[in-house]
Amino acid sequence: MATYRTASVAETERLGEAFGLRLCPGDVVAFTGDLGAGKTAFVRGVARGAGFDGEVLSPTFALVHEYHGVLDLYHFDMYRIASPEDLYTTGYYDYLDTKAVLLIEWSENIAEEIPTDAIRVHLDRVSENERNITIEGRDALENFGS
Amino acid sequence: MNATSPLKEGTRLKILGVDTSAKTASAAIYESGKLLGEIYADVGLTHSETALPMVKALLDLTRVSLRELDLLAVSTGPGSFTGLRIGIAAVQGISVGSGIPCASVSTLEALAWNLQDFDGVVCPVMDARREQVYTALFRGDGEVLQRIGEDRAVSLEQLGRELGNLREAIIFVGDGAEMCYNKLVHSLDRATLAIQSRRMQRASSVCRVGESAFMRQTGIVGPQDLTPSYLRLPQAERERNERLARQENSW
Repeated sequence: MATYRTASVAETERLGEAFGLRLCPGDVVAFTGDLGAGKTAFVRGVARGAGFDGEVLSPTFALVHEYHGVLDLYHFDMYRIASPEDLYTTGYYDYLDTKAVLLIEWSENIAEEIPTDAIRVHLDRVSENERNITIEGRDALENFGS
Repeated sequence: MNATSPLKEGTRLKILGVDTSAKTASAAIYESGKLLGEIYADVGLTHSETALPMVKALLDLTRVSLRELDLLAVSTGPGSFTGLRIGIAAVQGISVGSGIPCASVSTLEALAWNLQDFDGVVCPVMDARREQVYTALFRGDGEVLQRIGEDRAVSLEQLGRELGNLREAIIFVGDGAEMCYNKLVHSLDRATLAIQSRRMQRASSVCRVGESAFMRQTGIVGPQDLTPSYLRLPQAERERNERLARQENSW
């Protein structure tokens, strides 16, 4: 486990980018943290690090966004997911069986359905601009200079 | 063929079958008891890109034109959320354009028909995760299968108990068969596992079930009535009941 402190949205994105560079096909990343903690900013960096140049927005309404760069990324927002049936209708289980990388915001809502070997990223608001970001998973994803 | 048969005597029934219900994808063309051609792929979930090209290649290969087809059979569930919708949408598109009727085929029934010649109980199983499976039961006499249980979602534990009461040979088939066999074999000494080449969903079996539905004129629908069938998981059912109970209490 490693904890990083970022002092701005831009720094959170840069940390995400360094993290994204180290992802492998099939990785599942489970995000936790309150509204405004910076999950989407981190994911924006991850997508850039994984070779995607386009726009990254919170998939609040679509539930899942796809980004295809060096890796195939699926960005989920589980905020409104309340049951296994809801989850089934997002196609989550189908994506889980592929070589794609899954980035899951509000993973606490589907805690029991997150694979046990998933990488965990928790974001905590420290002040208006500062965030504590805790990463738990493979060593290469925890420890990198940022 | 009897007088009420939808086909004139001597007419051959041509069927296109499509299955994209889970990890594999396949298409087949079948003509009155004979498989003319089948394409099968197990290369991950690329069904949205492969299903229609597969159908087109198969029509070219078998030199069958769309106009000659009498029926479009497609597996409508249970199965993967996106997979089912890809197969159904492809068949709906062909049906709308051509006017050919559709057969809505249970994925489990088609799986069972992979083992049409089995003498005993055929148990198709698809993994529904968290120790739950989609399953149904069929009894075979070595030539044809009879359905003896509806499509449903149950816990592995319950399925094991039910199969334990049977006195016949049991065979597991489907993408959940191996998992089911490994977990239940210690308590079911009569259970076996279908060999790999007959274990997964096959469009040829979807054709066979579609043919029998066509003969009975049951489950034959227009494209607008082709919908994925969703079996409620026991665990989801429990959670739903709890939610409803909470709502009632709050009134």
